[in-house]
Amino acid sequence: MTSSLHLPIAAYAAALALTAGAGSAAEGELAVFANGEALAKEGFTAPELTRDGWELRFDRVLVTVEDIAALQTDPPYDAEDGGEPKAAVTVALDTGGPVTIDLTDTDDDGRVPIGSTTAPEGHYNAVAWSVVPAKAGDWTGQSMVLVGTATKDGKALPFTLTSKDTHDYVCGEYVGDERKGFVTAGGAADLELTFHLDHVFGRADKGADDPMNQGALGFDAFASGGEQAIELAGLHIGHVGEGHCAVTFR
Amino acid sequence: MPSPSAKATAPKLATTGLVAMWLLAAGPAAGHGAFVDVTETRAVAIDARYDTDEPMAKAQVTVFAPDDPAKPWRVGQTDTAGRFVFMPDDRAGRWAIQVRQAGHGAMGYVDVGAAAGMTLTSSATAGLAPMQRLLMVACVAWGCIGTALYFRRATRATVA
Repeated sequence: MTSSLHLPIAAYAAALALTAGAGSAAEGELAVFANGEALAKEGFTAPELTRDGWELRFDRVLVTVEDIAALQTDPPYDAEDGGEPKAAVTVALDTGGPVTIDLTDTDDDGRVPIGSTTAPEGHYNAVAWSVVPAKAGDWTGQSMVLVGTATKDGKALPFTLTSKDTHDYVCGEYVGDERKGFVTAGGAADLELTFHLDHVFGRADKGADDPMNQGALGFDAFASGGEQAIELAGLHIGHVGEGHCAVTFR
Repeated sequence: MPSPSAKATAPKLATTGLVAMWLLAAGPAAGHGAFVDVTETRAVAIDARYDTDEPMAKAQVTVFAPDDPAKPWRVGQTDTAGRFVFMPDDRAGRWAIQVRQAGHGAMGYVDVGAAAGMTLTSSATAGLAPMQRLLMVACVAWGCIGTALYFRRATRATVA
C-alpha cells in the first residue's frame, strides 16, 4: 500500500518525455506554487490557536517536495476513493530533484513559486507530489522543519520540530475561489500544492469533537521546547486549495 | 489511504438527477383567465454533506458550464439540508459543481448528453456508500423517463 501510489508518481515523471516529445499539441505555460496559507504565514493566533490553546508563530516552515506532476484525468480523480488516476496527459515539473521551500517566504499573493513548465493545452484537474527528506542543506534528511515560537499563559517557547516522514499525495481538482489548471495555447495557468498546518496542530476555534481536532497532534506534546522530532504519519497535510488528496506515508 | 480523522472532515458531494416541476406562469394580460404551463423536466440536485453525514448547510455552490469551465455559470447556496437544485441549459458536456464551506470544498461533475435533450450519464461523487450510489442511479433513470411525460395544463382563474 505504501508504494502503490508512489510508483505511479514515478511513472508520471517518465511520462514527461512522452508528452513533451509529442510536439503536436498546442502548448501553454503551467506554473506550480506551494501555499501554507495564513496559518504558515501569520501563525496560529486567536481565535485560531492550536487545539490545545497555543499561539504559534513560525520563522520558517520548510517542506521538501519532489515528483510533482500535473494530470488531465478522465474521469475526474476522486481522492476519497483513492487509487491511481486515469490520466490522458501527464506533465512532470522538472525541479532537478527534491526542492526545499519555505512556506513563510511567499510572493505578494502569499504563495511560494516552485517552478513552471510548458504543457499541452487542456484542463489539469489532478496533481501528484511527494514530500521527501532533503538531500542537501542545513536540514538534510528532514522532509519538514517548523521553526518558531509558541506562546501560552504568557510564556514564550522557541521550538524546532523536524520530520523525516515521506508522504505521497494524489489530488483531484483544486477547490478555491477560482478553478485552476486550464492551459490554453500560448496561455498561462497554475496549480497549487496547499499545506494545511491545522491538520497538524488542530484549531481551538473548532470543537474538540471536530474530526480534524481529534486527529491533530496539538502542541502540548512539544511544550518542552527546543528541537524535537514530530511524527506526521496519518495526517492529511497536503491539499489542493480546499480540495482533498489521497495520501500515503512510506 | 486517508486517515480516519481527516477522512471524517472531508466533505462529500453527491450529484443526482431528478425530475423537477417547472412552473411557467403565462396568460392573457387582460383576459378572463390565467394559464399555467406545467412542464416536467430534468434538473440536477446536489446533496452536499460531510462524511460524518452532517449536511453542508448554507454552503456556497458554484456551477460551471461545459463550454466555459473557468467562469461560474451560476452561484447559489445549499439549503439547510445541504441540497441545491439547478437545471442545466442545452449545452452538452461535463458540468462541474463546486461546494465550499468553512475551508472545506468538493467538486462534483455531471455529464449531460445532447440526445433527447439531456441525459445524465455519470457523476463523480466522493465516498458514497453503495446504497447511496444505487439511489443516485435510480434518480437518473427516473429523470430520463420523466422527460417523455411532458404535459400541459391550462387552469382558469378569476381575475378581480
